[in-house]
Amino acid sequence: MIQNIIINGLINGSIYALLAIGFSLVFGVARIVNIAHTAFYMLAAYVIYVGFHYLGISPYVAMPLAIIIVGLLSVVCYKLFINPIREHEAAVLIATIALAMVIQEALLIGFGGHYLGVPPLVSGYSTIAGVKVTNQHLLALGVAILALVGAWALLMKTRLGLALRATAQDREVANLMGMNEARVAMLTMGISVMLAALAGAIVVPLFVLDPHMWMHPLIMMLAIVVLGGLGSMKGSFIGSYILAFAEVLVVFLLPMGAYLKGSVALSIMILVLLIRPEGLFGVAFEEER
Amino acid sequence: MGLIAYYFRKAYTLFKGEVLVLPSRMAVLIFAISLLVLPLFTQDSYLLRILILTNIFAILAASWDLLSGFTGQMNFGHALFFGVAAYCTAILNLRLGLPPWFSIPLGAMGAVLAGLIVGIPCLRLRGTYLALTTLAFPIILLGLVFAIPDVTGGELGISGIKRLTSSRLGDYYVTTLLMLILGFVMWKITDSKKGIILHAIREDEVAVRASGINTTRYKLLAFCLSGFFAGIAGGLYAHFMRTAGPSTLEVALSFQIVIWAVFGGMVSIYGPVAGVFILFPLLEFLRFMPKMRMLAFAIIVLMTLLYMPQGLIPWIREKIEKECPRCKIRNVATRKTCRICTAELD
Amino acid sequence: MKKRNVVLSMLLAICLVATFGFSAWGGEVIKIGVIGPMQFTQGEGHWNGATLAAEEINAKGGVQVGDKNLPIVLIKVDSNEFVSLPDATNAVELATSRYKVNYLVGGFRTEAVLVMQDIAMDNKTIFIGCGAAHPKLCGKVKADYDRYKYWFRVTPINSRFLVKVDFILLGMVAKIMAKQLNIPKIKVAIVAEKAVWCDPIVGIAEKNLPKMGMEVVGVWRPSPVATDVTAELSAIQSSGAHIVFTSFSSSVGITFAKQWGELKVPAAAVGINVEAQKDGFWAATSGKGNYTLTINTYGRVKITDQTIDFFDKYRKKFKEAPNYTAGTYDAVYILAEAITKAGSLNPDKLVPVIEKTDRTGASGRIVFDQTHDVTWGPGYVTSVGTQWQNGKNMVVWPYNWKGLTYEGAVPYLLPPWVVSHYKK
Repeated sequence: MIQNIIINGLINGSIYALLAIGFSLVFGVARIVNIAHTAFYMLAAYVIYVGFHYLGISPYVAMPLAIIIVGLLSVVCYKLFINPIREHEAAVLIATIALAMVIQEALLIGFGGHYLGVPPLVSGYSTIAGVKVTNQHLLALGVAILALVGAWALLMKTRLGLALRATAQDREVANLMGMNEARVAMLTMGISVMLAALAGAIVVPLFVLDPHMWMHPLIMMLAIVVLGGLGSMKGSFIGSYILAFAEVLVVFLLPMGAYLKGSVALSIMILVLLIRPEGLFGVAFEEER
Repeated sequence: MGLIAYYFRKAYTLFKGEVLVLPSRMAVLIFAISLLVLPLFTQDSYLLRILILTNIFAILAASWDLLSGFTGQMNFGHALFFGVAAYCTAILNLRLGLPPWFSIPLGAMGAVLAGLIVGIPCLRLRGTYLALTTLAFPIILLGLVFAIPDVTGGELGISGIKRLTSSRLGDYYVTTLLMLILGFVMWKITDSKKGIILHAIREDEVAVRASGINTTRYKLLAFCLSGFFAGIAGGLYAHFMRTAGPSTLEVALSFQIVIWAVFGGMVSIYGPVAGVFILFPLLEFLRFMPKMRMLAFAIIVLMTLLYMPQGLIPWIREKIEKECPRCKIRNVATRKTCRICTAELD
Repeated sequence: MKKRNVVLSMLLAICLVATFGFSAWGGEVIKIGVIGPMQFTQGEGHWNGATLAAEEINAKGGVQVGDKNLPIVLIKVDSNEFVSLPDATNAVELATSRYKVNYLVGGFRTEAVLVMQDIAMDNKTIFIGCGAAHPKLCGKVKADYDRYKYWFRVTPINSRFLVKVDFILLGMVAKIMAKQLNIPKIKVAIVAEKAVWCDPIVGIAEKNLPKMGMEVVGVWRPSPVATDVTAELSAIQSSGAHIVFTSFSSSVGITFAKQWGELKVPAAAVGINVEAQKDGFWAATSGKGNYTLTINTYGRVKITDQTIDFFDKYRKKFKEAPNYTAGTYDAVYILAEAITKAGSLNPDKLVPVIEKTDRTGASGRIVFDQTHDVTWGPGYVTSVGTQWQNGKNMVVWPYNWKGLTYEGAVPYLLPPWVVSHYKK
């Protein structure tokens, strides 16, 4: 029982972590609340599906391709739709909602409401500590952890990462120090969406594809990011595991209430916010001047 | 006799001085009149149905603006008030047999209660945190709705609610009148002393606190007022559709409200109303291209945000009216001098 | 700038006038509105079934009304009921008052159909439901006959009978398992999506399974659109269940089957799994949904003389197997035959004729009971049980049930990994 919870929690948590960190990154650096974040995740999944089913590309090739394509697409969308209105935060929020709707509708038109799937990269299952886990899940866990480590390395060890962190702390001063703030924002958008696309690529063989699949991860991701503290990578990372474990615990301890896992996660978020309004690791922002 | 004539003259002067001078107010007047006399020209039940729904959603969008536009409390879960009121009204009507005149206001009180429950945790939150937290509430409530299907009917909702009035025409007039009256009331609230305080809270809460005003009380007031009006809309919806289901609590509805309000123009009550009146029938009109419908809708919204980020109505207003630099009163754009202080309008 | 605005607003005005001035076609035709979620497979099923029927009837010269032969014209109305309830009600209003359809067929989501039914009854339009199975719909006919008599239901079978067939299938699998694998007491894990239609099934299962000699080891209620049920599956495996009794109508059916097959959970999956009724299930689960057994309405067996013909024609034209919403095929035929018999299009004259329908349709022999619901039972509409066997969806029930076997049905197969797990 405990092994089930731990392993399932780890896997779900890693996937959420990939999404949450990307979202947190783009908010911290560019102050953009990208509601379309999970929509891009869904788009990447569909691109892989198209590549596999219609073009016959092997998933191993389709996945990096999808990540790059979706990342580029997000940068284009950013330049066209978000950059011009970056000053009005409310407008940006709504623009990303509209963007997410456009992606959803485009996919609905293209694929209808049918449920689609892609075969797993590795089939079969393994038994770990008495728990049956599919090999694809293990692969997903491995890739997610690699990606997280890679993101951490990017942020901490490279000059680009330094620029990102600096811009996140103080936009104006970073600009003064010679980091082109607009460029940094654009790059951040690209990187964060690529992380989401990576999450989509991992998840494609596990989940069922349909044009509405972006809604539930969006809500979980928002809960995680708010719980961990907007703009804090560490917060998002830890928050995703906390909420993933909460979800798995609900399923195991309350099988009659498995559908409640979303509500429970959100209630936890609200409780934490009541006690600590800026989230677990968030920084209480002064009003931006 | 003389008294009545006096009142008429006063009304006329008021009319000439306040309404006729500004094209925007003329437009509102024409809009209200055309809505009221429409049934003289056509009583097509399909058209009336669309307009009734538009009226209901207009009240809803305006109530959102009262909270999020004026008070700056970005509420991404406005569907909560709508849904709570719809369910309360439904239960009151079905189980207790209360007629619409009672069940709708009581349902709205339920929404006010919800407003308090939501408002209190949100007092300490700001900006994006607030938006995302408010997003969470309808979702949690949705889980609750599914958890007690005996009371709420689960995903089937509650159906068999009595009609609003006995005829489609009656429904139309009730909703139109309510929309016009409530819209006017909301607009007057924003223009009143309390409204100015709410607006100030949005701009700079610390300064308002420093002026000795209890912002907590005003923020809660905003939540409750907004909840009340949204609740009326919810009650009307339940009685008109004759069903109240989980679709009234959906995230998609909350997003729709935000889109309508922002499209029409935030921080103005008439903006969201106009937004709903343009977008909702447009969505219905686009039924002819079922596949492209939502896509066209989303693209329209994106375009509006790019070219008119303040919203449609403020943009139009900019074109047809000018603000006097000295006394800040609005004038028709074609005037050379301000109508009040005769300063030069450039 | 100003001129452009004027032109734009004139265009908009023209468009608006065009829409609202759009009046129904004149001329003598029979207008049947097909209303359903046209963006999704269920609505497509509605439209396809009706189209097939209308084309066949029109090819034979149309419907004979008195001494005239009138063609059927189908009007597609998208209710969008999954996304928006107001849309659904607007759609019915549009169909009845603007397009002035004579009759309506379709409907899917019960929450929406309850309201759509009311609007149709307001307009005294005959509405044949082909998708929603809630007993409340026909219960209204019983409660208020004069108002609701224009409502009939053709497919699927009423949820009360659905539950009955569900348990018959469960009993069949349990018996086969007990015999083949020498299991004294079968343990059943109930997995039902969190939806109101499943609640009675879960309740009845918990009560009746012990009486059937089986043990309920747990009840799991995932969300209808859950994307991951590995946690539930692990728990089911630890509970030692032999059978998983499923009730799924949404995407969780695919997720469940996929992960169940991937993990090779040693329990047979049987019950209701709407996604498993569709052709696309095999590809969506990448073949892991093999051996899933579910209730179905159509199968390529000889339920009646019409079935295989209909099945093949449907598959040839629309490139997939018919789903239960394609019952509009039978609905349109019922309307046509009733019109000919009554010699009139008047709904009040048609209702008593439709009540006496006895049609050998594609899903079985369709006879309406007193509440205008389709009758269930051997010799009428029984629905079928279909199991995926290596890429093909085969009918495995009725197979020697009360002496009834539809020609073409095959025996049920236990998943090989289940057999090898218990044969140890």
